[in-house]
Amino acid sequence: MRHLLIIAAALFAATASAETPRDFLTRFEKEAGTAASAQRGARFFTSKQGGEWSCSSCHTDKPTQAGRHAKTEKAITPLAPAVNAERFTDAAKVDKWFRRNCNDTLNRVCSAQEKADVMAWLLTLK
Amino acid sequence: MHADTKSVRVWDLPTRIFHWSLVASFATAFLTSESEKLRDIHVIAGYTLAGLIVFRLLWGFIGGGYSRFAEFLPTPRKLIDYLKSLLDGKPQHYVGHNPAGAVAIFLLLGFGLAAAASGWAVYEDVGGHFMEELHEGAANGMMAVVGIHIAGVIVSSWLHRENLVLAMITGWKTRHGRDSVQAKAGFTDLKHSGRN
Repeated sequence: MRHLLIIAAALFAATASAETPRDFLTRFEKEAGTAASAQRGARFFTSKQGGEWSCSSCHTDKPTQAGRHAKTEKAITPLAPAVNAERFTDAAKVDKWFRRNCNDTLNRVCSAQEKADVMAWLLTLK
Repeated sequence: MHADTKSVRVWDLPTRIFHWSLVASFATAFLTSESEKLRDIHVIAGYTLAGLIVFRLLWGFIGGGYSRFAEFLPTPRKLIDYLKSLLDGKPQHYVGHNPAGAVAIFLLLGFGLAAAASGWAVYEDVGGHFMEELHEGAANGMMAVVGIHIAGVIVSSWLHRENLVLAMITGWKTRHGRDSVQAKAGFTDLKHSGRN
């Protein structure tokens, strides 16, 4: 058990590298090869993209507020970095949740452009 | 065929139902692990898996002969002897679990419990990021052992010329008159009578 804890702690330390939300915007813009649009990001976030859910189904269309899981109804802490300093500070977590949630809302992975747009929009929210 | 003295009743019904139910619940939990939409199914599969493992832990003490932990508790000595016999090309034959298989079983039970307990914690928002990592680590550990277990079953079935998958369905194994390593001499009568 102690070994498990040490391994888990090491994993935790390895993944808890410090990024800032702006770093992700820069990264996704670079991957997309174009500038992000906060306006496009807002539309993408709040409307369904072919699936049963949109991002706002769980995160609400005002992500400065707490959200609610559309299936389990459990509380979700706000997504906007301005009100929740923990958001978008860990690359492993960001990649993991984009992968999972894009699959639930779009039935595919999100493009770098879509992620850049959403990041740009979230960063405008105060 | 079952009256044949060469047939041995190895796995009792509760052990077999447990085995295949565990397969189903773990497969369901694993396949639904990436989706929030299927979260309810994932959680139900996880609790089912936890209940099955609790049952198996009890059955390891009160169950039938070959299901008991005391019958297949893998000591380092037994494990080394067994692995050596594999390398020598003269594998020791166990009617019940061989020592390598027994190690896999205890790892599966341990990883399964850890995955279920940490999964509950993640679902209830206890323990934060650490519990998420533990949950994924335990589930991936369990999947890795499942892979090794399946490989072991295939290799062992081939080495001993017995169909271990069929044995876990019917409960019966066919003996080939080879010497078998027995943890308990007391099983000899039961073994040859074809009862249980």
